[in-house]
Amino acid sequence: MLSRIADSLFWLARYMERAEGLLRVTATHYLLSLDKDVNGALTWQSVLETFTTATPAEIEATKNQTAEALKLLLTSNSNANSLKMIISKARENARGIQDYITKEVWEEVNSFYHLINQPTLDKRLSSYEAADMLDLFTRHSVLYTGITDITMARGTGWGFMNLGKYIERCFETIVLTNKHYQINHYKIHESKDIMQWRQLLMSLSGYELHLKTYRSSADNHDVLHQVLFNEDFPHSVVYSLGRIDRHLQDVTKRNFSEENAALMRCFGRLHSKVKHTDLDTLNNHTLHPYLEELRGEVLQFTKLLGQQFFSYA
Amino acid sequence: MGFLDQYDLSPNVWDEMYDRKQIREHYHKVFNSLEQFDVNALQQKDRLAGELFMNQGITFTVYSDDAGIERIFPFDIIPRVITGKEWDHIELGIQQRLKALNLFLKDIYNEQQILKDKVVPAALIASCPHYTREVFGIRVPHDIYVHISGIDLIRGEDGQFYVLEDNLRTPSGVSYMLENREVTKRIFPEMLASSHVRRVSNYPLMLHEILLQMAPAQISNPSVVLLTPGIYNSAYYEHAFLARMMGITLVEGRDLVIDNHKVYMKTTEGLEQVHVIYRRIDDEYLDPLVFKPDSALGIPGLMNAYRMGNVAIVNAIGNGVADDKAVYAYVPQMIRYYLNEEPILPNVPTYEMSDPEQRKHVFDNIEKMVIKRTNQSGGYGMVMGNKVSPEEWAKAKTAIEADPRSFIAQPIIKLSTVPCFIDGTFQARHVDLRPYALCGPQGVQIVPGGLTRVALRKDSLIVNSSQGGGSKDTWVID
Repeated sequence: MLSRIADSLFWLARYMERAEGLLRVTATHYLLSLDKDVNGALTWQSVLETFTTATPAEIEATKNQTAEALKLLLTSNSNANSLKMIISKARENARGIQDYITKEVWEEVNSFYHLINQPTLDKRLSSYEAADMLDLFTRHSVLYTGITDITMARGTGWGFMNLGKYIERCFETIVLTNKHYQINHYKIHESKDIMQWRQLLMSLSGYELHLKTYRSSADNHDVLHQVLFNEDFPHSVVYSLGRIDRHLQDVTKRNFSEENAALMRCFGRLHSKVKHTDLDTLNNHTLHPYLEELRGEVLQFTKLLGQQFFSYA
Repeated sequence: MGFLDQYDLSPNVWDEMYDRKQIREHYHKVFNSLEQFDVNALQQKDRLAGELFMNQGITFTVYSDDAGIERIFPFDIIPRVITGKEWDHIELGIQQRLKALNLFLKDIYNEQQILKDKVVPAALIASCPHYTREVFGIRVPHDIYVHISGIDLIRGEDGQFYVLEDNLRTPSGVSYMLENREVTKRIFPEMLASSHVRRVSNYPLMLHEILLQMAPAQISNPSVVLLTPGIYNSAYYEHAFLARMMGITLVEGRDLVIDNHKVYMKTTEGLEQVHVIYRRIDDEYLDPLVFKPDSALGIPGLMNAYRMGNVAIVNAIGNGVADDKAVYAYVPQMIRYYLNEEPILPNVPTYEMSDPEQRKHVFDNIEKMVIKRTNQSGGYGMVMGNKVSPEEWAKAKTAIEADPRSFIAQPIIKLSTVPCFIDGTFQARHVDLRPYALCGPQGVQIVPGGLTRVALRKDSLIVNSSQGGGSKDTWVID
């Protein structure tokens, strides 16, 4: 496979996963923001800080205005990380590899792009239709996942797509978790109302699983277990790393080279850091550095992966 | 609906559907089927067609206010109908023409017998900017230079088909021919099925077969790639489309590298040799070591690999000398010279501006003439003698007198018209026809039909997509 194509597949998958994450967070936050009674002052601040490139002043001006916040998150041209920009970049990658991906995948990415570029969108997002629009976007996003799954050939390309997808997902969970625990001052051993955690769990599609799995009242502790170490939760860090492991094995087997060993070692260190960490060893003081280290190591691994397989220009 | 109510024909024009008394016989079926629909149904189909093109990404980008706007190439929903008999005549004519043009290219880059016999003036070739000295003496596989051609045909007031120009370098548009048919399948399924239209969909397979045959003979499983300038090229959709339909890799210049006069592509597993390149990049950008040194699209060292016979390039390099508009005038002589046959498809009369006598004739009769640059395509640099303003004409005249070799003139030919669905009514618009012919070791194959380009502006004779043109599905029916 051409290195350029591997690169574009990787980024196509990353951007589409990023879009999905952004959509779930936005939709969750939008619906919760309508319930004023949760704590009376739910603002868009944390979401805007995590997902946009807006300055603190812009965030301050936007955080209490739902329509403006939606615009910034979804359709803005000035925010390099808006849904529109993410989908444009995904499409740009897909366009350059149109001969490799299936026609179905291309058409889905393309029609998503045209949807997000409709001129009437801003108006609809500031009306009662906002929730419908968010649903529609989410549907396109899951449709992409489904179409990719049933039409793309397995092989090297599939490996790179999945590496992109799960690396992105891994990042997203780490960053969101960090943000939420930061708001709670990393107090693992205290317990807050589960309603407070709903936002994080719903953003990661894990609220129902949480209710079914965890019976204790130690919510802060349980939520952390779920998002980091629960093997059955498809958005947990350990699950994503497990998938990366599998696809990395596959890709390195198909593309043998002496330098693969260094890449495997790098990943091994990262993986065991999650697999072999006991939740009880984390506390108020160690949680924040732990999450930061994880993020740094995922970043390092991604860099090595790119050097190994994508250098062509 | 009243099909003919607003069907307004200009004088002295061949209309392909209506002979001014009645509907021509081969249009009966289409005409009768269309009469079953009301305006709303047809407008609905028109919209559906637009959406189909949009969703498949068959678009080009217009840049304004730093926001790229994507547009589709206009598609007219009413098919153009050509009879099997007319088509068979066209097919023979194109086969003959391509045979002669291939022999000409072989000759001109080797023995140059045709110049020695003074059938084509040597000065004409020497002054042609597309004559490529760098490929002199290079033998190409099976002596085929023009593998893929898009010869433009027009129909004059007498109903005859004429050759307007030969596109022998990297003709584009074949994906529209194929996609137009796919869209017609969705909007007029019954009409298509009942009309017994000859099939076009096997074009990519025919092309793939020919590309494989160009590989060096000893290779059992040759690697074929399609070389594109990249996603910002206006024909990128077509490149991706063809690569996908043939199952070959779409590469950009930066994906390829030359080592020891062999071409390789950079893959995740290391380098992999390439044997055949179907390139959609112009000659001058192919190899920065030989042609334009600042080209970032090409591959340094490609020409050496080509010269060594380690890679086949399709179409061959240097074909521009054969589709130069001044050399075009000599194609009938080439057919007589190489094949000892009379041309089946006539040329449009062409005046060489470098000849003072012909130039004077053109200047005296400018209102009946169109002047074209010999090395331009896309409808650029054209002067229509009946529309040009005195100031423009004075300017054009100076340019011609300064460099007469770069211009030719032809009498303005009123292209034939066909019905189009415009603003809810049927209107006659001018069209040309570009059949796509493929030359392989087994001979010339042409998919029946080709691309009909239509000038959507009323009374316009310019069909180029860059100048307000659109396209139509083209049916050859038996």
